[in-house]
Parts: sequence; C-alpha cells; structure tokens
Amino acid sequence: MGRYGDMMSNILCAKGIKKSFDGVHALKGVDLTINKGEIHCLAGENGCGKSTIIKIISGFYRPDEGAIEVAGKGFPVMTPTQAIKAGIQVIYQDFSVFPNLTVLENLAFNQVLANKKRLVNKKEFRKIAEEAVKKINFEVDLDALVETLPVADKQLIAISRALLDNAKLIIMDEPTTALTKKEIKRLFEIIAALKKNGVTILFVSHKLDEVFEISDSITILRNGENVISCPTSEITEEKFAYYMTGRHFDTAQTRKNMKKNIGAKMLEVKNLSAPGFENVSFELHKGEILGVIGQLGSGRTELSLALFGLLKPTDGKIIMEGKEVKLPNVNVAHKLGIALVPEDRLTEGLFLSQSIVKNITVCRMDELASSIGILSNKKSVEESDKWVKGMGVVTKNHELPVQTLSGGNQQKVVLGRWLATTPKVLILNGPTVGVDIGAKYDIHNLLRKLAEEGMAIIVVSDDAEEVIETCNRAIIMRSGYVTGEISEEALSREALALASN
Amino acid sequence: MIKAKKIDDNIVRLLIILTAFIMIACVTRPANFIQLGNFQTMVKQMSEYGLMALGVGICMISGGIDLSTVYIANLTGIIAGMMMQNMAAGSNGNGYIYLAILVALLVGAICGIFNGFLVSYLRIPAMLATLGSYQLFMGIAIVISHGSTVSGIPEAYTRFGTTLIAQIPVAFIIFLLVTIVLSFIISKTKFGQRIYLVGTNAQAVKFAGIKYNAIIIRAYMISGLISAIAGLVSLARINSAKADFGSSYTMQTILIAVLGGVHPDGGFGSIPGIAIAVVILQILSSYLNMFPNISNYYRNLIWGFVLIAVLIINFVINKRKAAKLRKMS
Amino acid sequence: MKKFDFKKILKHTEFYVFVIIIALSLIIQARSGLFFANNNIVDLLRSLIVPSIYALCALLAFVSTGPDVSFPLIAALSAYLAIIVTKAIGYTGSAFLVFIFAIIFGMVMGALNGWIIVKYKFPSLIVTLGTSSIFNGILLGAFEAGRMDLPQPLERLGETSLLTVKNARTGLGSSLPMTFLIMIGLYIITYLVLNYTMVGRGVYALGGDEISAERAGFNVKAIRFGIFVANGAIAAIAGVCYSVMSMRYLPTEYEGGEMIVIAAVILGGTRMAGGVGTLKGCILGTLLLTMVSNSLILVGIPVSWQRVFIGVIIIIGTAISALQSYTAGRIKSKVKKEAA
Repeated sequence: MGRYGDMMSNILCAKGIKKSFDGVHALKGVDLTINKGEIHCLAGENGCGKSTIIKIISGFYRPDEGAIEVAGKGFPVMTPTQAIKAGIQVIYQDFSVFPNLTVLENLAFNQVLANKKRLVNKKEFRKIAEEAVKKINFEVDLDALVETLPVADKQLIAISRALLDNAKLIIMDEPTTALTKKEIKRLFEIIAALKKNGVTILFVSHKLDEVFEISDSITILRNGENVISCPTSEITEEKFAYYMTGRHFDTAQTRKNMKKNIGAKMLEVKNLSAPGFENVSFELHKGEILGVIGQLGSGRTELSLALFGLLKPTDGKIIMEGKEVKLPNVNVAHKLGIALVPEDRLTEGLFLSQSIVKNITVCRMDELASSIGILSNKKSVEESDKWVKGMGVVTKNHELPVQTLSGGNQQKVVLGRWLATTPKVLILNGPTVGVDIGAKYDIHNLLRKLAEEGMAIIVVSDDAEEVIETCNRAIIMRSGYVTGEISEEALSREALALASN
Repeated sequence: MIKAKKIDDNIVRLLIILTAFIMIACVTRPANFIQLGNFQTMVKQMSEYGLMALGVGICMISGGIDLSTVYIANLTGIIAGMMMQNMAAGSNGNGYIYLAILVALLVGAICGIFNGFLVSYLRIPAMLATLGSYQLFMGIAIVISHGSTVSGIPEAYTRFGTTLIAQIPVAFIIFLLVTIVLSFIISKTKFGQRIYLVGTNAQAVKFAGIKYNAIIIRAYMISGLISAIAGLVSLARINSAKADFGSSYTMQTILIAVLGGVHPDGGFGSIPGIAIAVVILQILSSYLNMFPNISNYYRNLIWGFVLIAVLIINFVINKRKAAKLRKMS
Repeated sequence: MKKFDFKKILKHTEFYVFVIIIALSLIIQARSGLFFANNNIVDLLRSLIVPSIYALCALLAFVSTGPDVSFPLIAALSAYLAIIVTKAIGYTGSAFLVFIFAIIFGMVMGALNGWIIVKYKFPSLIVTLGTSSIFNGILLGAFEAGRMDLPQPLERLGETSLLTVKNARTGLGSSLPMTFLIMIGLYIITYLVLNYTMVGRGVYALGGDEISAERAGFNVKAIRFGIFVANGAIAAIAGVCYSVMSMRYLPTEYEGGEMIVIAAVILGGTRMAGGVGTLKGCILGTLLLTMVSNSLILVGIPVSWQRVFIGVIIIIGTAISALQSYTAGRIKSKVKKEAA
C-alpha cells in the first residue's frame, strides 16, 4: 500500500476524459490514474461509465476530450493495436474466446495476427501456446475445444493470452461474475502472483468484499464523473456504498427493525432430490423469509427450479399447506401459488424487445382474457399500470420495450409480473444480481414488506450481505447438499462465512 | 400515461406505399389498370401465395420459418382433387366435395402439426425441419399422384374458381376472411400474444409458464391449415394440381412476410402488414404486366429489389428510433 | 504425435454419416449386386460434382455467417453471362478463359451479397433470398435467357472425359467428365485456405465469436465480405461445370438446387449457428444424399419414392444432430457443476 502516492511511477494517467453518444454524456471529464504494480479497483454502479472508460483506454472508443498517457508517453489518438503495443490488455467478461476452436488456437491467434503472419504454422502455434500457459502454470489440454472447458479455464486462457503480449496493465472486467468460490480463490492467487511479477491490474467490480480483499487503491465513478480516488485502506464499507450511489443506507438498522409476523407452516420440503441436489429438507412459514445460500454449482438454482416445476424431483416430498403436491410443470406451480424470479433476468426473465405491459401481464393472461381467450387491452394496461406504479418502475411509457429500462427497473418488472399473480410462496434466485445498490435497497425493503403482509419468501443467493439483510433464517448449500442451517439469532456474516467455507 | 398506439408505424408506411403505387398505376396506365377484369385477375392470383405468406409470417413471428407451405398446398390439392375425381361418378349431390375439402384441410393441419413437432419436441431448427418436411410432403404427393398432374376436377367444384360475389372473386373473399380472422387471433388473443413472446425469448417463456411446444405446434398447424386452403383455392382456379407446382412461391412468401414487417428473428410483425404487402406486390407485378414488352420474369427482379430496399429503409428508420429512445431514457 | 483417438471420432457427426454411407452401399450391393459396379461408381461421382461444389458455398456461408441460398442463381447467371460473352467475342481458345469470365461475374454478384450483409448486418438468409430473386429476374426477365448451345471451348471440354468405363455384365457405360478434376481442385484449395492461412482460421473464428474475432485482430468485415465474394466465384464455377456436363445451357435447371445442398451440409455436421463444419462432412453429406437419389432405384425402390426418402433422411439426420447438441448443452452444464 505504501506504493500509493508515488506519482512518478504511474502506468496509466487519463485526464479529463469526456465522451458522449448521440448527445448522451457517458463520461463528463473522468480522471483515472493507476500506479505501476498496484491492484487498482474501478467501481461504480451500472451505467456510471466504467465500461466506456475501459473501451477508451483500450483504444476501442475515441474520447471527445481528454488526454491519455501510458507510462509517461502521451497518446493523442489511441487505437486498439497501439493499446496492445503499449502493454494494455483487457480480459472481458465473456473472456473473448472462440468456443469452437482449440485452446491452442485461442492462445496463439492474437500473437500471430499481431506479427502480421498470413500462414498457419502449427509448430509456432504450439510454441506460443505452451509459453502462454507456462506463465501462470495453467494445466490444460491444448488440443481440447474451448467449449468443453469450464468457465474458469476460459478465463485463465484469456489471462495467459494477455500475458503473452507483454501485458503491463491487465484490465479485468467483472472477472468473478461466473466463477465459483474456489475458482475465485484461484483467480486471486494468480492476480497476486502477477502483481509480484510487476504486472498492474485494473480490477473492475462492484462487489464490496472482493474490492476490499484484493485492491490497493480505488477509483469510484458515478454518472460519468469521478467521486473519489484513494487507497483502499482509507475507505470504509459504508462509505463505499455511499460513494457509489450517493445515498445513505442504514442496513444495520433495518435488520434490527425487521418486523416479524411469522404464521402457519406454508411449505415443507422433505428429503427432496433432483439432478443437482440431494436430500434437501426445510420448512417455510407464512411471513418468513428463508435464505438459501450457496455458490455457483451448489444446487441452489436446481432447488429453486424443482420448487417451481421446472426440474423433476427424483425423490422426496413437497408439502404445501399440509397437502403433498406434485409439480410436473410451471402451470401447476403457478396455480398452487408458487412464483419464481429466475436467476438470469435477461435470458430467463424478460422479453427484452417487447413492451413493459406484455412483460408484466404475461403470467396473468388467463385472468385478463375472456373465457374464449380474447385479451382485453384496457385491462392489461390497467394491470401493468398498477404494478409499474406499485413497484416504482421509472419509465415514461408502458409501451416502450423493457430493454430501455435500467437493470434495477427491469428486475422490478420481473418481480411485478410475479407479484401480480398474488403468490403464496415467492422464490427469488439472485434477486439483485447486476442491480444498482439503490434498486437493491428498494427490492430488499419490498421483500420485507411482503413478508410482513404474510407472504412466504425464499431468497436464493450467493451474496451473504443480502441474506443477512433480508432473511429470518438461512440454509447453506454446498455441492448439492444442505450443510447447515443458521437460526435468526445467529445470522451474521461471521456465521455465514464459517458455515459456507 | 400515454395511450397505447392503435396502428403501428409500419402499417402506415405500407399503406402510403400502396396508395402511391395505385396512384402511379392509375395515372400512367389509366385505361387498362382501372378495368374490373384486371382487378379480378389480380386478386385471384394473389390470394394463393398471399394465404401462404400469412402462414409463413406466423411461423416467423414465433421465431421460426415455414418452407413447406407450397408443398402442403400441392399435397392437399392433389388429395382433394383425386378424391373428387374418384367419388364424382358414384355420388349424387355435392356431399363428396365437402368431404374432399374437409380431408384436405385435415391433411394440411396434420402436416403443420408434424412441422411443429419437429421444431418443438425434436428441437430441429425450423429452417431445416421444414426443409426436410417439404421434401417429404412433396415426395408423398409424387407417390400418390404418380408424379403426374391431377386434373379433370368436377365442374361442381371448379365453379368456385370463377364465381364472383358482388364482382369479387371467391378466392379473394377467402383471403380477406382468413386475414381478418388471423389478425384477430394474433393480435387479440392469449395464443396470439404468446406467439410473439415465444418468438422473442423461448427460454423466458418456459419460466413464465407458457407451454412452448403447444404454442409452436399450433402456429405451424395454422400455417399448414392456411396452406391447405391455398391448395384448394388453386385447385379451383387452375383446375389441376401437381406435386411441384409453384416452387418459386416458397421464396416469395418469405419475401412478402419480411416486406410486411415481420422480423426475421421473430417477435415482431403483424397480419395486416403481410396482407398489405401482398397487395402491394401484386399491384406492382400486374402493373408491369400492362407493358407487353416487359417479361413476366421481371417480377422476380422487382420483388428482390423491393425486399432489399425495404430492409434497408426499415434499418435506417429503426436506427433513428433507437437513437431517439436512448435520448429519452 | 497425434494418437488415434477412437472416442473423439465417435463424437464427430462425420463418422456417423460415413457409417450410414457404408451401410447403405452394402445394402444396395447385397440387394442388387450393382452398387460397386464400375459404371455405378462413376455415375455416382459424376452426379456428385455440381452439388459438392455448391456444398462449399453452403459450408463457407454457414461457418462464417449463416445460410446462403443464392448460389444456384449466381451459378445460372454467371454461366449465362460467360457463355454470352465468349460467343460474342467469338473466342475459341481454352475453356479456362470462359471460367475466368464466369468467376468475375460471380464475384460481382457475391460482392453484392457480401456488401449488404456486412454493411447492414441483415440475416444472410433473407438477403440472399432477395438477391436470388434479383438474379433470377435479370437472367430470365432482362436477358430472357433460353436454352442454348455451348460455345466451342466448353463444348470441347464437355466432350473430353477423364475416364470411361463399361460394365461387362450389364453392358452399361459411363464416363467421368473433366469437371471432376475442377471439383477436386476446389476442395484442395479450400482445404488449404481454411486450415493453413490465418484468413481461413478467421472464417472459423468469426463464426465462433464475432466480437472476439474483432478483438483478436481479425478483419471481420473483410473476411465476411471475402467469403461471399468467394462464394460467388465458386458458384460461378459450378454453374459452368453444370452446363459443360449437360452439354447445353439450361437456364431454368439451376433454381431450387440450394435446399438439398444445405441439407447435405448440415447432415455432414456443419453447425447452423456457425463456427463448425468440415470439408469431410461436406462431401460425406453430399455423397449420402446423392446416393439416395441415384441408387435407390438399384434396390427396386421406384423413383417416385426418392423425395420421401430424402425428406426422411434430412429429418432424421437433423433431429439427431439437434438432440445431440441439446444433450451436449446438458453435459456442459454438468461439467460446470463438477468443476464447482
């Protein structure tokens, strides 16, 4: 940390960067200074301009105004090739790999193309690839097709490929999104090793715990402007959230104030098994929020699918209001009063190019239509209006496609769709993934209010903070089994960390 | 709260193009063009491929495509034609004609269901599934007709081909009726709305409790059914049916659907839009037919050109609209 | 260095097509005793020429972008123009120049496809559908092309044959035209370009992930444009070959050839979503469908059943690969789970 402030040795210095698209100002004069050899975190909510500044640094966008210096050398115009030559490499969220090609080719392409070679020399390819994997001691079958590899390996391919080009500054865009806890640990080890070798890392993330665990210094953006740049040690977690959103959140208070109105037993799961998890049992009462916490691959998603009729249980019972139920499909679950807000809003939740009205009313079509299936436009709009207002979705017009909304508002639409069905049991899988802190706060408040009104809620999440803030109780899942249960009194970050590691 | 728009921009655009064409045609070729006879031939021709285009359009809205419509039409035409031939002698009254029509419609629906089954349950990409099934339907048509033209259709049936109701050919009335009924189904019913949703995001549909397979099968069934109607109309008009009639219609139906505003990736489009596109193209080609020195094959040239032009115009307009939306939000 | 990995082979669609071809040929041989007769083999190779050249167009388009349905009409129009030009200038030399004429016309037409697809990012199916319609209109409307005799250079090429065989038992003869060599040549060139040049690897790279390809430094637009220009050239060659083999120019015989070829290429393991497809699969898929349409008659199945068989094979073949990729998706998610 002592490195900070050593102004002479910054590797990147971007000053007064402005950029607008079609008259919308994405960056309004942003400064970003990164010191040599540090792990610098760039944080901010969705739409704060993080990705725009990355694209400017790596040469894909040209700034409207501002200057970029790399290792003291000025670049009036930066092209992607120049950026690579200057040692800047970006590890994108999708890792930029070719799933249909071999690891070998994935590793060698950039280098071969940069050397302007026109022909394929298999021996040269192999040499480059072997050199690349050696840099981070990455063991992989070079002849395997990338699409057959796990996500973490794809990321390692991207990292070793970046190192080949003598990367001095590696920009990692939300690198932990699709990783399991174990994989994140391995990634952090690699990042630490890179730092030791003098490589600078720009770590783009909005995950509090990661930022504090790994970074030396931090830059926070909001609405295309700098909020703060300082060593990570000078900032607290509360302040971090405030800087990102400009709002104060009193999360410690809300938990204390959580009203309890726990009623009769609503749902009971007995020794339930399905592909992905085994022998899961728990109870859920009216007015209770149960947390199901587990990492990617722990069976949490499969459990939520099984409770919603999307995955067929192989064994065990689901008992609702004292009666055993079978859930062969979503419609049966729906009729019984079960709702699921799925994990991936974009692919599983929304019809992005369709209107907000259609997205909200999709599960209520049966009620909004006459007995022979004719829909009433008026009723649909009224219904949609009710939920747009009720959920506080910010929009000018219901007929606009959902894709014009921000992530948080999109999530509110999905939530509104299911609340419209007046469920008895509401299951939310990762309810605030990719949602701004502000919207996250709103959604958490809403969940608690719903519970107070008597709804039984299950929050499936890998975010310990979220579970602590919203849930009465939590069960912990690991590799398909429930490994522990934490009662209300004991529910704290320490307990969760202890139980899930 | 802004009120929901009643007519979408695309239909307005198509109507403007249509009026412009009619005006140009009337002004430059007034003598022939305004004639009733011309109008009657025009609408008869377009009813057949127009019907098939509606079916293709529905499948495209659902995120797929149907390349087999022409061959379903031929197959059903052959079946109906052969039934009528064989039963005409032994029966008095026209009951057998209705029976043949019924069987043809049933066969069309079954063919459509088969397509839908391939696309939904077996997960074959729609283009390939219907590519395979069209070979199959055409093959079956060849087998039952022994590869030859089925003709000699009883006069009691072919009369439909020449009947006029208030000077309007029956074929066109059928086309109008189908258009109206389908417009209603697609825009006003649960099922119709679900076709759009299935075409937008097949994965999200599952989570919303919509039965993907059932919607897809019904969409292709409708396409098969309409194709059967087209086959019957054509049987009455040209008094014969053959396994490989109208091969070039396949491409034209897709072209019309796209012109009519159907999005090739699914999720967007409207039945009235397709119907107007049918009329526009028919006016265009009929107009060209007025010039004796222009070959009929020019129609292909013009249609292809119009398709690409409309794609580009839509592209430019949508880009502007998207930019406006971005500014708004 | 590479070990013979049987398990890997089992995963390839090409292998299954190959097995089906062997099985089918054995059945036909057993039933008729005529399949492996020299004249039947030569006939089969002969019928394979044009569709397998077309298959290259379909393969390149699928791997890089998506379906291309314009190749039969590019073939028809460029062959027509080449023949007209040759006749007009009264050229009587080598057929090579006629091919060059056709290739130039074909490339112009392919460039039109490529330009629209690259510039506007429209689905290639719709664009090539539109341009096919335009080319068809130009051929039959503007030029009013009819059947015609070939110019001298092509006539000579059509008269020479590579190999002539006569079946001793049945007395039936058959000859392999020179165009067979053209097909072989095209396959060799395509193989070398796809596997041993960076542009060729770029075709696969951009089919696998377009954005990644751009980031890696491939000139995505140029490659995609190039593919459609090359497709125009290949289609033009196929067009001239077709006229050489039928010894006449038949303008209306080209249309409609695209569907079977596309089906053959997909059967051969080419992925509709792009990025995957081999020349091996291409030729095997084409061979299978050609065998079905050529040889079923040997087993006593009437010609009228041919279409039914082709339809059934396409449906079963695509269903298998569709279900395969569906289960592959499931296995992938399982791998992800195990890694956790």
